[in-house]
Amino acid sequence: MSQSTLRQAGPATSRPRRRGTRDATSGWVALLWLGPALLLIGGVVVFPAVALVKASLSEYSITGLRKGPAGLDNYRHVIEHPALGTVLRTTAIWVVAVVILTMLISLALAQFLSKQFVGRRFVRWAIIVPWAASLIITARLFTLLLDYYHGIANTLLVALPFVDQPVDFLGDDRFTLASIVAVGVFVSVPFVTYVLLAGLNAIPDDVYEAARIDGAGPWQVYRRITLPLLAPALSVSTVLSIIYVFNSFPVVYTLNDRNPGFSHDTTITWMYKLAFKSAEKDVGMSAAAGVFNVLLILAAVAVYLRVTRGATQENQA
Amino acid sequence: MARLTRTSVLVCTAALAVGLTACGGGTGASSNDADGKSGDAKTIKLVAAEYSSGTKAFWDKFATAYKAKTGNTLDVQVVSWTDIDQQSSTMIQNGNPPDILNLNAYASYAKDDLLYSADDVLSPAVKDDLIPAFVKSGTYNGKLYGMPDLSSARALFYNKKLFQQAGISAPPTTWADFEADAKKVSALGGGNVGYAMPLGPEESQAEFSIWLVNNGGDWKTDGKWSINSAKNVETLNFLKKLAVTDKVTQNNPGKTNRTDGAFALFGSGKAGMVVGFSPLSAELDKSKAVDYAVAPMPSADGSAPQTYGVTDYLMAFKKKGNQDAVKAFYDLYYQPDQVNTFIKAEGFLPVTKTGLTTFQSEKALAVYLQTLPNVHLTPTDDPGWDKVKLAVQQNLGSAVAPDGNPQKVLDALQQQAESGS
Amino acid sequence: MSAATQTSPVDQTRGTRPARRPASGPSRWRRVRPVVLPIVGLAVGLVFLAPYIVMLLDALRPSSDVLASPATFLPRRWQWDTFGTVLSDTRFLAWLRTSVVVATASTMVVLLVSVPAAYFTGRVRYPGRRLFLLVVLVTQMFSPTALVVGLYREFFELNLVNTYLAIILTNAAFNLAFAIWILQAFFASIPAEVEEAAELDGCGRLATMWRIMLPLTRPGIVTSVIFTFIAAWNEYVVALTLMQDDAKKPLTVGISSYVTGYQQHWDQLFAASLIAVVPVVILFAAIEKHLVGGLTAGSIK
Repeated sequence: MSQSTLRQAGPATSRPRRRGTRDATSGWVALLWLGPALLLIGGVVVFPAVALVKASLSEYSITGLRKGPAGLDNYRHVIEHPALGTVLRTTAIWVVAVVILTMLISLALAQFLSKQFVGRRFVRWAIIVPWAASLIITARLFTLLLDYYHGIANTLLVALPFVDQPVDFLGDDRFTLASIVAVGVFVSVPFVTYVLLAGLNAIPDDVYEAARIDGAGPWQVYRRITLPLLAPALSVSTVLSIIYVFNSFPVVYTLNDRNPGFSHDTTITWMYKLAFKSAEKDVGMSAAAGVFNVLLILAAVAVYLRVTRGATQENQA
Repeated sequence: MARLTRTSVLVCTAALAVGLTACGGGTGASSNDADGKSGDAKTIKLVAAEYSSGTKAFWDKFATAYKAKTGNTLDVQVVSWTDIDQQSSTMIQNGNPPDILNLNAYASYAKDDLLYSADDVLSPAVKDDLIPAFVKSGTYNGKLYGMPDLSSARALFYNKKLFQQAGISAPPTTWADFEADAKKVSALGGGNVGYAMPLGPEESQAEFSIWLVNNGGDWKTDGKWSINSAKNVETLNFLKKLAVTDKVTQNNPGKTNRTDGAFALFGSGKAGMVVGFSPLSAELDKSKAVDYAVAPMPSADGSAPQTYGVTDYLMAFKKKGNQDAVKAFYDLYYQPDQVNTFIKAEGFLPVTKTGLTTFQSEKALAVYLQTLPNVHLTPTDDPGWDKVKLAVQQNLGSAVAPDGNPQKVLDALQQQAESGS
Repeated sequence: MSAATQTSPVDQTRGTRPARRPASGPSRWRRVRPVVLPIVGLAVGLVFLAPYIVMLLDALRPSSDVLASPATFLPRRWQWDTFGTVLSDTRFLAWLRTSVVVATASTMVVLLVSVPAAYFTGRVRYPGRRLFLLVVLVTQMFSPTALVVGLYREFFELNLVNTYLAIILTNAAFNLAFAIWILQAFFASIPAEVEEAAELDGCGRLATMWRIMLPLTRPGIVTSVIFTFIAAWNEYVVALTLMQDDAKKPLTVGISSYVTGYQQHWDQLFAASLIAVVPVVILFAAIEKHLVGGLTAGSIK
């Protein structure tokens, strides 16, 4: 399943030999190396994950008091919820749009930042800022920047000769999701850019050298050398971006907090509202939605890995 | 994938085993009652909502006084309003509620039989001093569970400068006046709006409440839900008219919150009127950016103005061995130099009769104080309200959109309320 | 920027590399390049900084002017003491301290735990290797918002609520996946000859990893450090729930008290937020040069 993601990026000649020398390793040795990681994950993540599943099978009072087992009622309520369709649609648009835009912009940006030029350090530092700043605060900042009445974005917009009315970026249904996606891309790009930059920097110079001696043009070099060698970094960052964007709470929630109802909610903000902000106010149902969310991400990642594996094989053929 | 099944099971089991030993092998059992250790001195925990950046300072000082007086320790955790529902729910889900919780709702907790009633933890003298309207809203099933910590009342704030420019000499007393005045302010142009209306999900139930009580309506009538009563539909239609037909409100009032929306607009001098309360006065007085005045809300037909108010609650959770410490907490909190200090610092209104007398000297509060004993409150004594309120917040805004349907929105809310309680 | 992107693969100018193509297009590009690239760079940098420049200017005006209508770029009234006010707030300093301690410790735990696992996974084919990576990945799929109730329960049972250890462990566990995934990809990309040479020289596997492999994966390690530090630095939900003493709250949780439903200090909130960016930028400045693998895999033969 993860064939493509695990492909090594080194020169192709070294691969078979590496495999040959390392196959025979007993499970005990593995446990020694992997033990700390498994311990940390098992110790911290497994317990609450089990608790989440248990909660999804329980009936709760509005106060959070457990009243008893609920069977699959919570799951049924989630599936039958009138907003489910809207939420899934919003989630799909949000994830696909943010991930694709982020990957494209970051790919270009990483390539750009791997070049030597005066002021490169300034650009690298500038890009770290949106990543370093707290997402919650950045999201709040953007609610101010994009506001109809006191947003600087509208002050600038209205100053343009062909715009005479401010735009309600966050209240007008035509713009709300697009605005949220834009902010989502803005805060995701730095992370992905740095992963790809690290990937680019790990590509040995002599590979390019060899390609150039063979007379490859720039586009060919990019397609035949850079992209394949960047594949591991690209794959890791896409998979993780899919997960992080799915689970991204502050941006969607904060920018959408003036809008009643669920029309711009993703699964994760919907889950939160089900527990605390909507008339359901039901932590059991919310837990069921949380379990759904994990399955959804799992499916999305599986689809991505399958599709890219197909593409890679095609490339190699 | 299939090839991996056996190993996968192995690794999974290993991870689980490791996880479970780590979790199960701890000192769980003994830590559970760390709070309720026997002996004279006890530690009780307060989870308090954050009204301002001074909230924490008050409770810290209070904890010191509490320690000096009773020998007990008060653990204070201040939580923002945004997060407090989630935090309290997490604690209760895990069987570890605080001893005292400060929140805007209590009835569902009382219904779940989690709370002490006043009979258990409130001295009769303290109870007698509470303003009756708040005792009533804090009473569930004949017993007082929701001890009020502070209150607020809403009133009409108007921008004196805009009123003067629009040629309005006095604040409106009827809805017809209100509409006319709002039109005049909007007609000034320059981005000015007549009335900043926050019907977004933050607090739309409060904004609607103040309008509906001034049209003789209410959320409940004679113990039954009356959300879609003719009066209430009329009220919401009036609000929609202001927004859609008259266009005297700000853009998208159904998607405007109070704090960073309507209040901000009024604070920047662009709104003729807004429904405010004393903390807004405090902010405006500090910034001095707007020349404003406060008047009673206009009523639909010019009859006596009605005031809508809010009180928040300090509720006490039944836990083994904490009753005396909780009682001591209330005894201290309701001492005039505590409760009134808190209320004054946060810019709110009193909840006790002594407090009313004390605050009488505050001129700025006069407009609220007169009406406080007859204030209208939302039906917080009905556990059903805790859900209805959320449904209102998530749905009311859609009624004032251009394609909004007030009748339909209120019908749906009424149906939801009836099925929920 | 698109022009830059297209030509870049050939013009990888990590060193100076002679162009071998005929001199028509490329030579013109080489002449304008020292001018074009910095200008594009400046524009890109400004795009990413712009919101925070507004944030800075908002911190330098009275809170009530932050929400003024219409918005002005420069403050109408300058207020210079906001940063001083925040920095002399003892609560703020306590939150800052917590954040530094928690983020640093979480990062160290992640490195200690992920490097061996990633090295082993990247270099050795062992049964269940893919499964291990998958299990690690799945831990990322649970949102902290959904898990926070169980986490509270777990640390409550362990008597660790309100301790640094609890959030350090949580941050470490939830950020492990990225480090393991990215590092194993880097480890896997190192040619086998390098390792074999080291082993012929008599290095044990641990020594090989430490002395030979780690330096080669520096870009990956630097990326993991930045990622983990920032993630821990900005974590909110878990800290909110587990840290109850005011002084033990991290910055993200603490500074929310500057703006509540009843009282708004936007100026202080933004000043505090900008100060909170500084430690991350310092960290970044300290390790940025290692983002470029000085010893790339190919240069050792």
